[in-house]
Amino acid sequence: MIKKLVKSNEFIPLVIIIVLSLVVGLINPNFLTIATLFDLVRASNVYIILALALLPVVILGGVDISFVAIAAVASYSTHMFLLARGYQGGMLTYVIMACAIGAFAGLFNAFFVNKFKLPIFDVSLATQTMWYGFTLFFVGATSNFDIPEGLVGYYARYLTRVSDPITGETGLHISILYVIVIAIFLWWFLKYTMIGRGIYAIGGNKEVAERTGFNINRIHLVVFLIMGVLSGFAGVLQGSFSRNFNPTLFIGQNLDVLAAIILGGAAIKGGRGTVIGTILGVVLTQIINRALVLTQIPAEWQKFVVGLILIIFTSIPAIKENRKKQVGRTTELVEVTVAE
Amino acid sequence: MEKQKRNFLDVIRKLPIESHTLLLIIILILVIIFFSIVNADKGFLSARSVNSMGIQLAEIGILAIAMMVTSLVGGINLSVNATANLGAVLSGYYLYKLFPPPPTGGIAAIFTQINMPESVDPFILVVALLIPLVVGVISGILNGYLVGYIGVPPILATLATMSLFTGLAAGLTKGRTITGFPTQFEFVANQSLLGIPLPFLIFVVLTGITFVLLNRTTFGFKMRMLGTNEVASRFSGINNKDVIMKTYIYSGFLSSIAGIIVMSRTMSAAYEYGATTYVLLTILIGVLAGIQGGFGNVINIFISMLILQGLSTGFQMLLQGVRGSAFFKDFSWGVLMLIIFVINFFTRKSDRKSAKS
Repeated sequence: MIKKLVKSNEFIPLVIIIVLSLVVGLINPNFLTIATLFDLVRASNVYIILALALLPVVILGGVDISFVAIAAVASYSTHMFLLARGYQGGMLTYVIMACAIGAFAGLFNAFFVNKFKLPIFDVSLATQTMWYGFTLFFVGATSNFDIPEGLVGYYARYLTRVSDPITGETGLHISILYVIVIAIFLWWFLKYTMIGRGIYAIGGNKEVAERTGFNINRIHLVVFLIMGVLSGFAGVLQGSFSRNFNPTLFIGQNLDVLAAIILGGAAIKGGRGTVIGTILGVVLTQIINRALVLTQIPAEWQKFVVGLILIIFTSIPAIKENRKKQVGRTTELVEVTVAE
Repeated sequence: MEKQKRNFLDVIRKLPIESHTLLLIIILILVIIFFSIVNADKGFLSARSVNSMGIQLAEIGILAIAMMVTSLVGGINLSVNATANLGAVLSGYYLYKLFPPPPTGGIAAIFTQINMPESVDPFILVVALLIPLVVGVISGILNGYLVGYIGVPPILATLATMSLFTGLAAGLTKGRTITGFPTQFEFVANQSLLGIPLPFLIFVVLTGITFVLLNRTTFGFKMRMLGTNEVASRFSGINNKDVIMKTYIYSGFLSSIAGIIVMSRTMSAAYEYGATTYVLLTILIGVLAGIQGGFGNVINIFISMLILQGLSTGFQMLLQGVRGSAFFKDFSWGVLMLIIFVINFFTRKSDRKSAKS
C-alpha cells in the first residue's frame, strides 16, 4: 500500500507541498493557519477547474491552448448578453449559458480535429487566436464591472468563516463544492467509463487503441465537450470572484495551467495523468506564490522558482528512462554474446 | 476542358516550388490586392505604411525563425521570447549597475532609469550589446542540454526555461521596466538603408542565412533528417545530441537578436514584453508556414509573416474608428489558419488520389 503510494506520480508533488508548507511555516507561523488554507482553496478553485478541463486532452496525448480563449468568449459573451437584457438573477443562468457556449467552442475544435485529421495543438492555436479576436472585436474590448444583483457579494459567499490575521475575515468559499463535484465526476468518468479508458488508451498508443475498437472520433468529441463546458464554467467563476468580466480573461495563462498539470504527474506524451495529481499540481503552484510572499522573497521570483522546480521535475523521469535504456542495452548485448 | 485543367495542375506540380509556398504566395497577393483596393485612399502601399510594417514584422519574424529551426528537428522552443527579454533586461541591468541614478532622484516605481552620462566608453556599449547575444547562446545550451542530452520532451524543457528566464528577468528588475538606454543604441531599429528599415533588412539577411543553412549545408540536411526520423538519423551515424544542441543554440542566438531590436525600438527592457502573445504567435506563423518535423522552408515563414502583417495593418486601416478595430486581426488570423488547414486537407487528398491512379 505504502509502496504503491510512493511509486505513484502524485507522490512527488504531495511531498513538495508538505515540505514547502513546513519550511514556510517555520519561517512564518502565519502560514500554517486555517485562514491561509481557506485563502489557498479560494485562489486555487478556478485554476483547478481550468486544469481539469485540459487534463483529458493531455491524457489523450494532445496539448490544447484554446481553453483559456473559450473561457473568455463564453463568460464575457454571456455577461454582455445578459447585461443588455437587464438580467439581475444569480449564477445559474450564467453557468448554463457559458457552459453551452463553451460546449459549442469545444465541439468546434473537435470538428476540425476529426474531420480534417489535424493535430490538436494546431487547431487550438487557430481557434484561440480566433476566439480572443472574436470576443474583443464583436462583443467588447473593455472589462465590464456592472455585475447583476444576484452576483453581488458572491465573492464572499462562505460556507464557514474564520478570522484572518491579515485581511480580517475569510472563509471557506462555496465554490469548493463545485470543485469537489467536478473532480469526483471526472475521476469516475476517467476510471470507470469506456470512453474514459479509451482516453488513456489513445494516449498510450493511438494505433493500438484504434485497432482495439475504440471510436477515436467519438472520444475526441467527448473530451472537447468536457473541455469546453468546464472552461466556460471556470470563466464565469473567475468573473464572479473578481467582480468584473474581461474579454482577455486568462490570456497567456494556458501554459501555466499546462505546467501545473505536468507538476501533477501527467505525461505530456499522453497516457498518464490523474485528477488528484492535477489538483495537487495547481495547489503546488499556488503555494509557491504564497510561500514567496510570506518568506519575504519578492513575488517577482515566483516564475523563476516554478521554472527551477519544472526543470528538476521533468529531468528526473527522463534520466531514469535513460538509465533503464542503457541497462536494457547492456543486458541485450549480454544475451547476444551468450547466444553466440 | 478536363484535359486543359489537368495540364494546368501538371504545370503547377512541375514548378520548382512547393505547393504550400505557392498557396501562401497566392494568399499574399490576394491580401495585397484586396487591401490596396479597399484602402486605396488611406495609402496601404504608401512608403510610410510599408516602412512601419517592415519594422513591426521584423522582431516577430526573427522569433518565428528561431521557433522554426527547433520545429524542424521535431522540437519546439517556447523560451524564444523569454530569451529575447532576458537578454535585453540583463544588458539594461549591467548599464544600470554601472550608472545608477542619483539616490535622491526617486523615479516612479514602475521604471528603473539608467543614468547614462554624456560621453561613455564605447567598450561599455559593445559589452552591453554583446550581453544579449551571450544570453541567447547560454539559453540555447541549456535548452539543448535538457532536450538533447537529458531527453526531456522539448515542450516541457522549454516551458521550464521560459518560466526560468522570465522569472530571472522579473526578479532582477523587481518587475519594473528598465529605461534610459544609451541613445547610440537607437541605430538598430531607427535607421534605414536605401529607404528600407534596418530591422527588416536584418530579418531578410537572417532568413537568407537560415535558408542556406537548412538547404545548402550538411548540417541542415542532418537537421531535417533528425526531424523526420530520430531513430533512422541515429543509425545513419548522425550525432543527434549534437544536432539538437546546435539547433537550440542557433535558436537562442536568433531570439537574442530579436531582443536587441525590441530594446533598440522601445529604448527599454521589460521582463514581460510581448509575454502573453509573442510565443504563441511565433508557433502560429510556423503552423501557417507548414513547418513540421523534417519538413518546411524558411521562405514560407517569411511569406507567412508578410501575410499576417498585411492582414493586421490592412484591417486596422479599413476599420479605423470602429471600436476594437485593433483586434479584428486576431480573428482574421485564426480564420485564415483554419481555411489553410482545410485547403491543405483537400490538396493532400487529391494528391493521394492522383498518386493512386
